[in-house]
Amino acid sequence: MLDSPLTDASAPAASGPLQRVGTWLGEPKTLGWIAVAVVLIGWELIVIAFGFNPIYLPRPSRIVVALVEMFRTGGLTTDLLFTLGRVFGGFAIALVFGVAIGIWMAVSARFNAIADNFIAALYPLPKVTLIPLLIIWLGTGGPFMLTISALGAVFPIILNTLLGIRQCDPGLVLAARDLGANRRQIIRKVLLPGAVPSIFAGIRLGLGVSIILVVAAEMVVGKLGLGARLYLAGQVLETEQVFAVLIVLATLGVVITKTQDFIDQRLSRWRVA
Amino acid sequence: MTGPAVAIDCEGVGLTYTAKTGTAVNALENVRCRFSPGKVTAIIGPSGCGKSTLLQIARGFLNPSQGRLRFVTLGGEAAAAPAMATVWQAFNLFPWRNVLDNVAFGLELAGVSRGEREARAKAALAKVDLAGFEDKYPKQLSGGMRQRVGIARALVMEPDVLLLDEPFGALDAQTRLVLQEQLATLVETSGTTAILVTHSIEEAILLADTILVMTARPGRIAAEITVDLARPRSLATTHHPEYGVLFDRIYGLLRDEVVRAMTTEGEA
Repeated sequence: MLDSPLTDASAPAASGPLQRVGTWLGEPKTLGWIAVAVVLIGWELIVIAFGFNPIYLPRPSRIVVALVEMFRTGGLTTDLLFTLGRVFGGFAIALVFGVAIGIWMAVSARFNAIADNFIAALYPLPKVTLIPLLIIWLGTGGPFMLTISALGAVFPIILNTLLGIRQCDPGLVLAARDLGANRRQIIRKVLLPGAVPSIFAGIRLGLGVSIILVVAAEMVVGKLGLGARLYLAGQVLETEQVFAVLIVLATLGVVITKTQDFIDQRLSRWRVA
Repeated sequence: MTGPAVAIDCEGVGLTYTAKTGTAVNALENVRCRFSPGKVTAIIGPSGCGKSTLLQIARGFLNPSQGRLRFVTLGGEAAAAPAMATVWQAFNLFPWRNVLDNVAFGLELAGVSRGEREARAKAALAKVDLAGFEDKYPKQLSGGMRQRVGIARALVMEPDVLLLDEPFGALDAQTRLVLQEQLATLVETSGTTAILVTHSIEEAILLADTILVMTARPGRIAAEITVDLARPRSLATTHHPEYGVLFDRIYGLLRDEVVRAMTTEGEA
């Protein structure tokens, strides 16, 4: 990764160990983590000093203890795996269908006309509103969870695939035709790779929606999964456990975002200079 | 050069299309010309005269609305379309493929095995002095290098006809000079048929056996000029007295058309 010239200029060569620590402390990344630590310590001290009831605001240290305990004996691992399975299972379905539908819409004006109205109606609809209907149709088991997860992710993936293909440089298609590409080869070797950055933008959006929907559905159904765990803990005023689940969800979000950032960087060579 | 020597004849080719505004645009009108096998034909004319359109018609990507395109052997018999490959003004390299995979793309489409296509792509890259750049991506290369990749990508297909659509139009003047010389050498040594669309009189004279000067829109052939200058040609050729005569003649023809194109541009 290239550093911006601004950060380069603000990091002169340090001489003594003290200066080196000073430089290290002044770095934006370090500063970010120091801020997190300050907030946590402040939180801990305030709760102790004012004697807050842990039902309203537990101490961070107690939350960490609760978190470890839930992983060790409370079956939080199972809940996490269920949630992950639902999110990524539905997301995988959405990816396959979303890319296929997006390509089809991009290359066929007829199919585009047919699909366009349905997408216009379904895309802006908050998908959580479909939970009651889907429960009536599918029950509360795996098929329901996968469907709600896939429904969340599929629209951004369709639309971004379509957009990516439409924005593909027509010169590249012409060059491929010139070199003997047939329709299928143009789709597979030019349009699809050309749309990859855009498809990843769709994946980014879609995966976020999938997580929201799966957790929301789990809260409604309330059996297994992080959402169910969160809801049940709230019901019995186990605030430490509520926070613990929130930490797991936030961490999940961070891991997914960072992974996507990493993939995005690798994809940068896709983009034309 | 695999097939028999085939000429491409434009017999009264015209193209009319409907613009977005709804008006009919006459891009080409009654174009009669022959692209002879083994020869380099340059098409030169003012902007918007339909030079590139004519090239797309010869390539088979556009159908003429009047007249027709014929492929004939030197004996005058109808022949199948010769194999063609194009070098583009905008390079049109695939940004997600490295240099080697860009050059091997056409062979890959044709189902040539990986080993063979990579060997042939490497040989083509060596011809344009890009050996050692196989693993680079297009955006890591300068404009001149990118276009040499474009040339290698077309040459590796061993086309009967090489189509050059303003190949150096996007390059700076110096890079252009060097590449013109290199291309002149490549074309001379391979003996391939080539059609060159260009804005540059110098480029046309250095590379072509025949120069077709086109009128402003609707594009017609204003003159067909034969270039007899000895080969191999290089920048030194521009000092030849014959070069000056040709240059002045073509400039004289073009100047009026360019002025006409500038004054009628608003109507199109």
